[in-house]
Amino acid sequence: MTDPVMRLKDLTLSLDGNAGVVEILKGISMEVSAGETLGLTGASGSGKSSLLMVMGGLERATSGLVSVLGQDLTPMGEDGLARFRRDHMGVVFQSFHLIPTMTALENVALPLELAGAEDAFARAEAELAAVGLASRGGHYPSQMSGGEQQRVALARAVVGRPQILLADEPTGNLDAATGEMVMDLLFDLRDRHGATLILVTHAPELAARCDRVVQLRDGQIISDSLAMAAQ
Amino acid sequence: MSLAWRIARRELRGGLRGFWVFLACLTLGVAAIAAIGTVRGAIEAGLTEQGAVILGGDAKVRLTYRYAEPEERALFESMGEVSEAVDFRSMLVTGDERALTQVKAVDDLYPLYGEVQLKPAMALDAVFAGRDGLAGVAVDPVLLARLGLSVGDTVKLGAREFAVMAELLRMPDSAGGNFSLGPPTLVASEALDGSGLLAPGSLFEADYMIAMPEGVDLEAAKARVETALEGSGFRWRDRRNGAPGISRFVERLSAFLVLVGLTGLAVGGVGVSAAVRAYLAGKTEVIATLRSLGASGGLVFRVYLLQVGVLAALGIAMGLVLGGALPLIFGPLIEARLPVPVDFAVRMRPLAEAALYGALAAALFTLWPLGQAEHIRAAALFRDAQSGVKGWPRPVWIVVCAVVLAALVGSAALLSGLAMLTLWAAGGIMAAFVLLVLAALGVRVLARWLARRMRGFKTLRFALGAIGGPGREAQAVVVSLGLGLSVLAAVGQIDSNLRNAISGDLPEVAPSYFIVDIQPEQLEPLTGALLARDSVSKLESAPMLRGVITQINRQPALEVAPDHWVVRGDRGVTYADALPEGTTITEGQWWGEGYAGAPQISFAAEEAAEIGLKLGDTLTVNVLGRDITATITSFREVDFSTGGLGFVLSMNKAALEGAPHTHIATIYAEESDEAAILRDMAMAYPNITAIRVRDAINRVSEVLQGIAAAITYGALATLVTGGIVLIGTAAAGEKARVYEGAVLKTLGASRAAVLGNFALRSALLGLTAGGIALLTGIAAGWAVSVFVMETDFTVAIGSALAIIAGGVLATLLTGLMFAWRPLATRPAQVLRARE
Repeated sequence: MTDPVMRLKDLTLSLDGNAGVVEILKGISMEVSAGETLGLTGASGSGKSSLLMVMGGLERATSGLVSVLGQDLTPMGEDGLARFRRDHMGVVFQSFHLIPTMTALENVALPLELAGAEDAFARAEAELAAVGLASRGGHYPSQMSGGEQQRVALARAVVGRPQILLADEPTGNLDAATGEMVMDLLFDLRDRHGATLILVTHAPELAARCDRVVQLRDGQIISDSLAMAAQ
Repeated sequence: MSLAWRIARRELRGGLRGFWVFLACLTLGVAAIAAIGTVRGAIEAGLTEQGAVILGGDAKVRLTYRYAEPEERALFESMGEVSEAVDFRSMLVTGDERALTQVKAVDDLYPLYGEVQLKPAMALDAVFAGRDGLAGVAVDPVLLARLGLSVGDTVKLGAREFAVMAELLRMPDSAGGNFSLGPPTLVASEALDGSGLLAPGSLFEADYMIAMPEGVDLEAAKARVETALEGSGFRWRDRRNGAPGISRFVERLSAFLVLVGLTGLAVGGVGVSAAVRAYLAGKTEVIATLRSLGASGGLVFRVYLLQVGVLAALGIAMGLVLGGALPLIFGPLIEARLPVPVDFAVRMRPLAEAALYGALAAALFTLWPLGQAEHIRAAALFRDAQSGVKGWPRPVWIVVCAVVLAALVGSAALLSGLAMLTLWAAGGIMAAFVLLVLAALGVRVLARWLARRMRGFKTLRFALGAIGGPGREAQAVVVSLGLGLSVLAAVGQIDSNLRNAISGDLPEVAPSYFIVDIQPEQLEPLTGALLARDSVSKLESAPMLRGVITQINRQPALEVAPDHWVVRGDRGVTYADALPEGTTITEGQWWGEGYAGAPQISFAAEEAAEIGLKLGDTLTVNVLGRDITATITSFREVDFSTGGLGFVLSMNKAALEGAPHTHIATIYAEESDEAAILRDMAMAYPNITAIRVRDAINRVSEVLQGIAAAITYGALATLVTGGIVLIGTAAAGEKARVYEGAVLKTLGASRAAVLGNFALRSALLGLTAGGIALLTGIAAGWAVSVFVMETDFTVAIGSALAIIAGGVLATLLTGLMFAWRPLATRPAQVLRARE
């Protein structure tokens, strides 16, 4: 087995909500290997999306260790985390989260621009073409369908050739056919670039496409297909 | 209760959240106009109620340069009790110090109405009685302070000494008087005997104030005086309009301020419109649901029209309360700063006027988005629910908007009393508005275009992309801030050019003093003594009389040239034998030296052209009650801007030589010797009056400063409204920025990069607003300077740069005010809330 790209140890996450402090994640420990495709599943509110956010440094763990590519994320500041994501991660969301004031091409080029890449737009154009949207580069998100927006988001996530790809229910807002097309594209891109893919999903058929499936309930891991296989 | 009202009421139960900009804009606009109207009403009421006091009598006849003839006096006395007062400029002297003063010499009946306010409070008789054998005077405290004097000291007026008995705080009739260069001194007429002042030919005005019995027909009285004194250059005023100059001034200034207030409403309208648009965008789902349940577009329109109507009524009501109450609260403060009596009260007319403007402006700026809301379909429930209102409203609403706009401009033109100015100003505001909307569109297109070409400069590209992308931020910021700054820029340009016209247009070597009341026998020794001084480089003098042009070619002059300043009231008239040095004849021939034939006139060429005079025309000029008819035989170049001597009318020597007159002179001297010249001159010739040119310019500048300040306050109110709209826009955009910040951070942007992006786009929008404001401000400033004030126009760079800097600073500050949350919020919180 290759070295883990991600190591979580005794990870907890508590958030201040209207009803007081809520414990979202309760002592998660796991490792993710390089090149692995990991499916995080569980019922709504089980904590799977929160876990993904913590893995991506978008949410700060309350306690425990979050080590990604050998670096501990917990002491990093906001800007440090941003730089880390810029250099090593791509994120895809259920609601696409494209910047509405930027065209499709500009959205895709954005991570490269932030990284200071000189050929940002040429690479972004190529990536947009790879998701079948070469002709839509000048369009704003509001001028595109949900499926098209998610393809732009996919292109944006992989354009920087990240080592880790995080996807939070990327088909949740799409119809079945479009969703399937987007997932094909996601796995295809992942295969082509060889990134580690961590995918949050409700859909069993999607989870089935992953090398490994971790199931959460009430903030805890209740099953891990890798562990089960080892047993 | 109609269905629309029932639904509207349920919707309003949700509270007024999101409507504070709407309410603030409308309240502020209405309050400004209501306050201006209330102050104007208070001044007008004060002037009307106190007309007789301001005037000093029920009627006042002013004669220039002469006292009333016995038969004229008898006519005045047949109408009522008559008090005579003489007004002239003189020098108040103590030791080596001297200062210009406006002397009012009165008889023992003065004042017929009202009271003279003195400190210490005492009877006027006691002031005039004086002490230790010296007659007494009351002197303006400013003048006393300038001369280092206090009550009890002794001063000289002309050749006579007087005891200062009291400080002169206010004369009841001081407001109705002319603009004066020197603070006043009050003295008894009889005490001037032996002072050497008011010698024949001196420049003075004699006022005959008449207290009439109640019920006298003022119009008939005026007609009697006009018949008896026809052509003698008198001026009639009566209590119906005790201070016409002030009334006119107040009317014009307040009309101008109302226009500024209307601009404020236009600026606020942008905020009102944006607020309604944002509200409707948030209600898209509700509207779509209503439509899916069978509501017609018309019902939806009525539901939201009622809601907006209720809010507009609330905003207008708050504006009226604020605008009506503020002048009452600050009444004593305002009264103390005004030279006229004021009567503060809640008056319906200004409030009704403000309410009308507010209602029309609210309708104008809300009907469009409300009309657009009619198009929201039930299908919006399934897609695009956040897109808000867009597209064109039905043609009927476009027509209604045009009618409302016409009603707004029409009522402003009608109610301001200055229809043309209002129409021009409304045209200007609309032009600026359209220009700013187009500029905002242009900026978006340009920003989009540039963003695609700025690929190496990421912060700049992000900012340009955000400005050029979808959303209305660029338009709201550019239009609201731009319109506010346009008004301020115009005021800045006009103010600066006005100051230039006064001080900057004077030649580099302006005269140090104007000297008036030089008796003919004093002229030679005085000029000789002055020219003997090394510091005096030049001295010009001319005989000076005052005359009224009563007829042009035997027709009444006021009928031939009704609007020309030369025929209104009395003018300085001079005479000369030989052609004075430096005079340029543009047409005709100067009379030969020693000419003693029929009277001839040399007239100022420019003014002659304006009136339409030609060589051979005759003018009848009344000088000291005597009509002199003379033929125009030449036209001369007269440049009034040089600060030197300039007479419109010059006659041949023989025509005027015999009339009692004085001479006027201008002295060009080094500034360091000015004080000594004044001292020596006044010592040798106590009767003459020297007016320091620098002081006169400062005095005029002071008056202009007051006007400019009033207008600047008005403009600032507009800018505050612009600021509210700006803050409202920034607040409305905060959510979008929080989201954008979260996505940017997710993709690896540092907080500095996010902040830089936000700051740069704010600054760019501010720069655009400032730039356009500058263009429109300069255009307005040019139009007012050239067409209204008839002065040259140059762009005031300092004010221009301040406007641009102000625009950038305002947007930057408001942008940064709302940048904290986007920077502080962690991406996960924001992004998950949107899932």
